[in-house]
Amino acid sequence: MRGLRKLEPLRELGKEKLKGKKVIAVMSSKGGVGKSVISALLSLSLPSVTLIDLDIHTMAIAKLFGVEGLTHEVGKEGIRPFRINNVNLVSLSGVVRGGKYVILPGGNQSSVMEELLAYSSIVTDYVVIDMPPGLGDEVLVLERLTDFQPVVVTTPSKVSLKVVNHLLSYLKERGKEKVYVIVNMAYFKCGNEIIRPFGEFKGDLELPIDPAIEDYVGRIHEYHGEVRSKIEEFVKKELM
Amino acid sequence: MHEWSIAQSVVLTVTHAFPDKKIKKIKLGIPMFSFLDVEILKEAFDVLKQGSNLENAELEIVVKEPKFQCQHCGKEFTFSQISDKLNQLKTQYGEEYPLHLMPELLPSFISCPYCGSHDIKVIGQEITIEGIEEVGAVERAG
Repeated sequence: MRGLRKLEPLRELGKEKLKGKKVIAVMSSKGGVGKSVISALLSLSLPSVTLIDLDIHTMAIAKLFGVEGLTHEVGKEGIRPFRINNVNLVSLSGVVRGGKYVILPGGNQSSVMEELLAYSSIVTDYVVIDMPPGLGDEVLVLERLTDFQPVVVTTPSKVSLKVVNHLLSYLKERGKEKVYVIVNMAYFKCGNEIIRPFGEFKGDLELPIDPAIEDYVGRIHEYHGEVRSKIEEFVKKELM
Repeated sequence: MHEWSIAQSVVLTVTHAFPDKKIKKIKLGIPMFSFLDVEILKEAFDVLKQGSNLENAELEIVVKEPKFQCQHCGKEFTFSQISDKLNQLKTQYGEEYPLHLMPELLPSFISCPYCGSHDIKVIGQEITIEGIEEVGAVERAG
């Protein structure tokens, strides 16, 4: 019998699941810039889509859509996503449930991310991935499995821009032809005046600060404010 | 049901790696604490292999006993030292036992029996193809 070291069934399955799909990775090497809210609203702006929450430690997507108490069913086809409007949502919170924290050594973290992608049932043409912050395994795992369209999120803050620039340089070096940059919390309107509290940086899309979003945590699919309409416009123009 | 995903991953991997070989046997290693149902896994494999070069292949399953080492205090421990905790977890979650689906989640649910740390290195936690036996090349028409 042949001894084999390099066959990786999990990776093969992950590749197969994502083959031929339009995979959009919402990413930022900086945390706290709004990746999950943008992933959610971006998904709600697409036709039928699978939204995979790869931020396995925060699992914010489940909180935003109000499914954190639910458990994923598993069928012959894999982990069955939760369905909310046009969104098929997969989150680790549907596996560990009950608000359980997830703490993992590095190698296990990347394996769990790979398992989440490989074992999910993905039947839609579009796949949106809410990436964890950082420039490590989270990016490398996705690169191993598929080509993807990066959508990089930042705020106009100098600190965020500095960190995000590292990610942009990396993506450029890896040959990504088009990388979209969304500048979140770019401005708010005060009467007729536009105020930019964190500085100026244009990117491909600027999103306003809308404190009303907080009221929609748990039912983000019901939010129809300005941030959503700007994202919808962007998605129609650039991603469809 | 998760056994079907595992079987699919095995069929995909071996057919991609050896498209021109007739395969007689595949030896698959699964971690003990994933509590996968070996019979369902074999049944799924027998269905999914149809029409491929694995059609006559047998799936041999080896249940691996992992080794555990705490990276905080450095001590090693065995499966038997954490089996009570794993059984509790199985009772708590029932069919949705998370380590069945994702064995690499183990350090989140288990702590070191000596110091309580979750910084646990597990050797033998992955599902692996341990070996393959071929009987010859696939005959192609023309």
